[in-house]
Amino acid sequence: MSLAFKQETFRDDYTFRNSPEAIRRFPFPFPEDQYMYSVNIEPHTAGPKGAVTEFTLDVDEHYVAECRDKAITLEQDPGRCAVLPHMMDAEWDFLEFTMESLARDYPEQFSLSKNGKAWTWVNRPLGIEQSFVFGDAATLPMGPFEYMGRQVQGDFVLLDQREDTLFADAGIVTSQADWSLAFNVGMSWNEWHGPVPQVTKLGVMDRALKFLMSLQQANPVRRLNWTMTINPRLDTSPENYPLWGGDRNKVTAENAGELAHLRVELQTLFRMPRSNAIVFSIRCYLISMQEMATYPRWAKRFHRVLRDLHPDLVEYKGITKYQQAVLAWLSRFDDGADIGTGTQPE
Amino acid sequence: MERGYWIRSKPVYTALLWNDKATAHAVLAEGEGGLAVLKLFQQALPEQPITVFYSPAGADKDYLPALQAAVDADLRVFETTADLMAAWASYLAEARMGLRIYTTGIEKFMWDVAETAASFGILNQDVMKELTGSLARSVYCVHCKSLTHEVTSNIATCGGCGRKLFVRDHFSRRMGAYMGLMVDAENPGEVPQIEEIYP
Repeated sequence: MSLAFKQETFRDDYTFRNSPEAIRRFPFPFPEDQYMYSVNIEPHTAGPKGAVTEFTLDVDEHYVAECRDKAITLEQDPGRCAVLPHMMDAEWDFLEFTMESLARDYPEQFSLSKNGKAWTWVNRPLGIEQSFVFGDAATLPMGPFEYMGRQVQGDFVLLDQREDTLFADAGIVTSQADWSLAFNVGMSWNEWHGPVPQVTKLGVMDRALKFLMSLQQANPVRRLNWTMTINPRLDTSPENYPLWGGDRNKVTAENAGELAHLRVELQTLFRMPRSNAIVFSIRCYLISMQEMATYPRWAKRFHRVLRDLHPDLVEYKGITKYQQAVLAWLSRFDDGADIGTGTQPE
Repeated sequence: MERGYWIRSKPVYTALLWNDKATAHAVLAEGEGGLAVLKLFQQALPEQPITVFYSPAGADKDYLPALQAAVDADLRVFETTADLMAAWASYLAEARMGLRIYTTGIEKFMWDVAETAASFGILNQDVMKELTGSLARSVYCVHCKSLTHEVTSNIATCGGCGRKLFVRDHFSRRMGAYMGLMVDAENPGEVPQIEEIYP
C-alpha cells in the first residue's frame, strides 16, 4: 500500500478513517462463524505484498497520527511507559530490533547508519534525526525502549524469562484493550492473564506459555486477538475508563455502523539476542462496522460470531450493553448463506 | 461470569510448614499471625537456627505469653510493624543463602515482608505465607494510582481521589494490592449495594 500518512485523531473529534486500501488489508480474524479462544499461534513469516504481515513491523497510513496520539497519552500519563531496572539489555535489544527492521523494510522512510558504536537514526515521517552511542543511554533523549517505543505503532511489552515463566517487566502501552501496565508490570504470565475467562478450563494459557518459553531467535510468531471499541479510540485504558466507558451507552441500531468498531490486535513475539527477553508487540487495527460492511462477506461473518459469542466473552470484552444494537445493524447483511471458511474479504 | 470463574492472579495462601532443607529460618508475624506461629511450633522443629519476628499490632488476643512459652528460638518482639520491618531489613543484610522465610498476618503485612525480601533478591515464591486475622485488602486505584489499605467491602472509597472503586480479584504481588476500578464510570451515580465481604 502507499504510505501517504493521514492527518487524523483518535480522541475528541475522532476523525480516524480507513482508506479503501486499508480496509482491504484489514487483519480480519474470523475464519469460521464461531469464535472461542485457542492457541492460534503461527510463524510470523512474510505475508503477501500489501498484507499487514508483509514485513516484520507494519507501518501503515495511520503511522504519523498514531505516534502523535501515543505522545499525547504519554504526556498525560508518563506511567504508560514502565521499565523495571534489570531490563536495560532488553531495552537495547528492542532499539536495535526496531531500528533495523524499519530501516530494512521501509528504506524511504527510515535509515540507520552505524560506525562502530556510533549510530545515526533517521525517521523521516516524524522528522527525527538522532546520533547516539549504542549502549550509552545518556546519548539518547530518554531510555532506549521508550525512545523507539514512541516511533512504532502499537504497544510493546518486554518479557523476561525466569522461574519457568515469563514476566512482563517493561512496557509502553497506549492503545490497550482495557488493561493497566502500571498495575501489571512485573507480573508473571499466569498472573497477568488471570482475568481472561474460560482459558484456564481450556488450558490455552499453559500451552501458549510452554510454546513461547522455547521461542527461538530466528522464528518469531504471531496471533490475532480481538475485541470491540466504541469510537476509534486507541487509549481504551482502565486509567481513562471514566472518559470512554460512558460511550457504551450511546450505541443504537441506527448509529452502530459509525460508532462500533472491531478492534483487532496483531500480536507478534520475537526473541532478543542479548537479553533473551521476548519482545511482545500488540498492534491495534480499528475498523468501523460501516467500513467492514463494504465487504458483505465480513459483515455476515461478524454478525454470526457476535450473535453466538459465549456470554463470558461478551461480558469480558465489555460488549454486553451494545451487542443487540450492533447485531441489529449488521443483520441486514446476513442472508444466512454459507460463506465457507477463511478470512478473505470476498 | 459462570460459577467457578476465578482470576488466577489472586494468591492462594496455605498453612505454614517447616522446610528443613535450610541453613536458617526466619518467621515474621503480625497480630493474629501469633496463632499461626504457635501452630508452626507444634510441628517437629527443624535443626537449624530459627528467628521469630513478632508485632502484636492488630491482634484480638494477647499471644505473647503463649509465644514466650512455646517458641524455643530467638523471639524478637516489636511494638509496631514499622519497627519489625526495619529489623527485618537489617537481618536480611546479614543473611546467608539457604534462609527459609515464613510470614503470617494480614495480606498487606505479608506482602511488605515479601517486598523487603525481594529487595535482597529473594523471590516471592520462596516466601511462605499464611493469611490470618482479616481478609482486608489493599486496593490500587487505577485512575489516580493511590493505595487504600484495610478495605473490607466489595466497593471502596479511594483515599486519593474519592471515586467509588469496585475491588477486583486481580492482584499485583509487586504492589501487594488488588485493582480498584471506578464502579459508576459508565453510569455516574449508579453505585451497587456496598457489602462487607472481606471482614
